Amino acid sequence: MYTHLGAPSWAGQLGVVIAAAVLSACTSTQPAPQESQAVPRTAGGKPDFTGVWAGPGFMHTGQDVDTAQVRRYTEANMAPITPDGQALLNRARTGNVRIDDPTAICLPNGLTRQIPSPYAQQWIQTPTQLVILYEYMHFFRVIPFGPPNRAHAPDIEPTYMGDSIAWWDDDTLVIDTIGLNEWLLDAYHPDDGGSRWHSDRMHVVERLRFTDARNASYDVTLDDPVVFEKPWVERWAMQLKPTWKILEFICDDNDRCRTGNCTDADVQASSTP
Amino acid sequence: MRGLIPAAALLVAGAVSPALAHHSFSTEYDRSKPVSVTGVVRKVEWRNPHIWFYVDVKDARGQVATWGFSGAPPAFLMRQGIARDAMKPGDVVKVDGFRARDGSNNASGGRVTFADGRSVFTASPEDVRPD
Repeated sequence: MYTHLGAPSWAGQLGVVIAAAVLSACTSTQPAPQESQAVPRTAGGKPDFTGVWAGPGFMHTGQDVDTAQVRRYTEANMAPITPDGQALLNRARTGNVRIDDPTAICLPNGLTRQIPSPYAQQWIQTPTQLVILYEYMHFFRVIPFGPPNRAHAPDIEPTYMGDSIAWWDDDTLVIDTIGLNEWLLDAYHPDDGGSRWHSDRMHVVERLRFTDARNASYDVTLDDPVVFEKPWVERWAMQLKPTWKILEFICDDNDRCRTGNCTDADVQASSTP
Repeated sequence: MRGLIPAAALLVAGAVSPALAHHSFSTEYDRSKPVSVTGVVRKVEWRNPHIWFYVDVKDARGQVATWGFSGAPPAFLMRQGIARDAMKPGDVVKVDGFRARDGSNNASGGRVTFADGRSVFTASPEDVRPD
């Protein structure tokens, strides 16, 4: 599974980890989906999204290995931009990293950028709620199931990930989110160092449906009346990875060149002539 | 100091890849300043948010400097089948990347080529990669 380009001194340990992950997947109550199997379902008959997924931020090879990639929302899919929305969607570089590139100082992606994040995510589905654990920066969502098109709570505190509620439309899982901060739309940055943002009136509707036992379509409807004249849809996909597990990610752990100012490592300090 | 192969050139020229800058790339590295060095791997830090590896490089006068290169997050590399021992201290490598904005001996490590010709990207998928 893993390519060792150097001496395999660590291979034994890694092999144990991989074997444990495979064993865990094989002994769990949720069988590892395969192409030939039916869509996984709960005891109640609903599609079961439980598992570790390679979200839209991967190539989706169908194999154990996969390649992360940065997906951004597609300009061609976007609805016409409102006159007031231009400055927010195509935000010019300010010189303030908190605006130009907040994740560069380990601030959050926010929901719309988190959805296509090129890191794994683990979904845990129960009859009453869906929990999504994002590897990147350890974000999570706890999403209650309930009647379709019901109202959100009236006292939502705006957050980076917003307030999400879910329901079923036949076999389609619908996740409806409001209560988002004005924040980054995605990871796009033009050459001048600007960024793309959405407003705090952004309303996100995610619609997920298994296309086979291992793959799901992932349609994201973005409705931001400040920026766009009407809602529009980005059509993505995600893929189950039965042998994966989500990993730890600490943004501040070894961030050596933050904002372009590097900190020498110990070996550099001791060897520079 | 361990033995070093002769250093390759440090290029500060104009070749530029298409831009899809990452949070760390655009603010941390200068895509107008590509760097290419050859030397001996001194240390590998397999840590988030990006791996770092350090290469001892000898210049034309025989002086050695240690360059630091930022690569992809460990999870990205593992999921591409690249294990943490893919590059080890003592390996001879050529590294192509882009220099840090502060002008220090640090850069993004967009491509690593081993002495036997094997080549592997270590950059994040969102980073600018060398041509």
